[in-house]
Amino acid sequence: MQAPQLILPALLVVTLVIQAIWPRYRLLVVLGGAGASCLATSVLGLGHAAQLLSDVPWDVLVILVGLGLVSEVLVESRVFGVMAMRACRWSGADPRKISLLFAVGMYSHGGLVNNLTALLLILPMLLGLYKLVGVTQRYVTWSIGLLLVACNLGGAATPIGDFPAVLLLGGGKMTFTAYLVRALPTTLVGLVILVTLVVYGVRPERGLSKSPVSAAITVDTMTALYRNVRVDRRMLVPAAAALSAMIVADKGATPELICWIGAGAALLVRPSLGERLIRRKVDMEAVLFLLGLFVMVVAVRRSGVFGSVARGLVALPIPPVAQLVVFVLSAGLLTALFSAGPSMASLLEVGDVLARVHPPNAVYVGLALGVCAGSSLFTTAATSGPLAQALTERADLRDAEGRPLRFGFVEFLPVGILSFVVIEAIAIGYCLLAVQRGW
Amino acid sequence: MTQADVELPAGLDQAFGAVAGELGQATSSWLFVRAVARCAGDRAVEGLADTAGPQFVVLDAVARGWLAGVREQVVDPRPVLEAIGSATRLVVVGVEATFLDALVARINPAVKIAMIAHSPFAVDWDRVLDNYGGRVERVDLDTFQHWAGGKSALLTFAYGQNDSRTIVAPLWLRACGADVRAQFRALVGWNVLEAPMNLYPRWLVEVDVDSFTHFVPGT
Repeated sequence: MQAPQLILPALLVVTLVIQAIWPRYRLLVVLGGAGASCLATSVLGLGHAAQLLSDVPWDVLVILVGLGLVSEVLVESRVFGVMAMRACRWSGADPRKISLLFAVGMYSHGGLVNNLTALLLILPMLLGLYKLVGVTQRYVTWSIGLLLVACNLGGAATPIGDFPAVLLLGGGKMTFTAYLVRALPTTLVGLVILVTLVVYGVRPERGLSKSPVSAAITVDTMTALYRNVRVDRRMLVPAAAALSAMIVADKGATPELICWIGAGAALLVRPSLGERLIRRKVDMEAVLFLLGLFVMVVAVRRSGVFGSVARGLVALPIPPVAQLVVFVLSAGLLTALFSAGPSMASLLEVGDVLARVHPPNAVYVGLALGVCAGSSLFTTAATSGPLAQALTERADLRDAEGRPLRFGFVEFLPVGILSFVVIEAIAIGYCLLAVQRGW
Repeated sequence: MTQADVELPAGLDQAFGAVAGELGQATSSWLFVRAVARCAGDRAVEGLADTAGPQFVVLDAVARGWLAGVREQVVDPRPVLEAIGSATRLVVVGVEATFLDALVARINPAVKIAMIAHSPFAVDWDRVLDNYGGRVERVDLDTFQHWAGGKSALLTFAYGQNDSRTIVAPLWLRACGADVRAQFRALVGWNVLEAPMNLYPRWLVEVDVDSFTHFVPGT
């Protein structure tokens, strides 16, 4: 193995480990690592910073920013709040139905807007509901845990739900529809299994007193909180149209162009709001994080190590389909350790090589599902985990005896293990079927 | 079902605290009292006053009033509109959803309305304002004085009256300091509670009725 094949991957891995250990410094770490990678490739004669930057998939970043802004327009339409209120009324504030409806709702939202936005929209409402209903530690653990996993599954269900899938779409690996028709039903199966296991097997509401007084207060309160809130169709329609237009990308226009124009059109409906959203709501943290990551991955690609790993995987003395299984399992475990973005960006390079041997759709969708499984193993594996923890702590939830209720790494672990096993099984099942039937 | 047999769930004080900031203490109290009375009867309303009342005195007063026969919340914005007079700008200090809804529905559409977004409780201010369809703007404690002037009024909600004293949200004292008093045409207190409170007003503070230029008593 040559020096570049040791130095550049080592830089990537060390950077990822450090950012995983100290997530509060992750931007500083990743951008520092990217700078070091540029320096290393220059010194090693593998290309200057300008060449590395020209290889960065800017279309993915355009899609990320565009979708983020479309998400914000959707938020401004108030559609999510109104739907949450209706879900509460439909459920009659029954804790089991709340878990069920919000998990399904979170899956749907996760497929339309990025995971952090979806969580920021839904979780505070849910925590408010918990205060009204009165909950236990068991309920908080399993219902918020299920919500997080549903969010991850929703993110993997569509090519615009989260950036692992955006990477596939932006990189031209798969078309919008090709991804959607495979990932949506597969993640839906995962959601149904998990919801059934948790809501009807674990039964988080066990031990909760089902009081008609609590139910009445909860429903009345939610109705009062949204008494005059209406969905702003002027905002909803353009945002929905922009999202729908992504499907047109199959018919000529590229997804980043559709996203750029669609987001612009949605923002133009109310120019002052649109300008404010662009100035204040673009997720610069995600953009800079991915930019740093892409630069490091491009540097490693130039060393040829991804090709070597993929060739090693293909050369394993196991049946070809077992190689895919190893790939998907590795994606899950690496994601659990390093989080979704870095794992997807790195493994996609390996996936490209595997896709020459195996059906490409099986490789890419299997990879996205494996990453989804890994994101669901630990709260630290996806940015939505720490956010859920922070929001729950801020809500200062307490049980009937006044004891504080927590949601963190330890509390989530049983939910995470169950989810990881289920989603990995679904991912492997999908790969096996896809290979067998040539999907 | 004998409604009186339904037991009150624990943690109602936590539930009340979750909504008191967003709907207002009087509005939330009526909501809670009505729901409890509907599901569990008047004995449960007494239980509600006993358990959550000491922490939330407005809830205690509304519950005790309910037991004494006050079954309807009287909301008449007309005296407030008179007090505001010809003001073209109104800054609202504190939230009382039922009362503010009635006022906004009746006030001259030319009057600009702002609300100071500040509360000791957790509040989703975007949702609060969404209920007014763009009619009410959001201002902060350190910027609301931009709304001051000879045609501006400051309004807050008061909870009961005991001789010359009434109870208001502490935000009123922070907003309506000596510097601010002279900057507004009218300082209006709107009493939204029928009966005076009997307990120490936690979360609230006692002020002189005379500190308002206009005090609109409850019925």
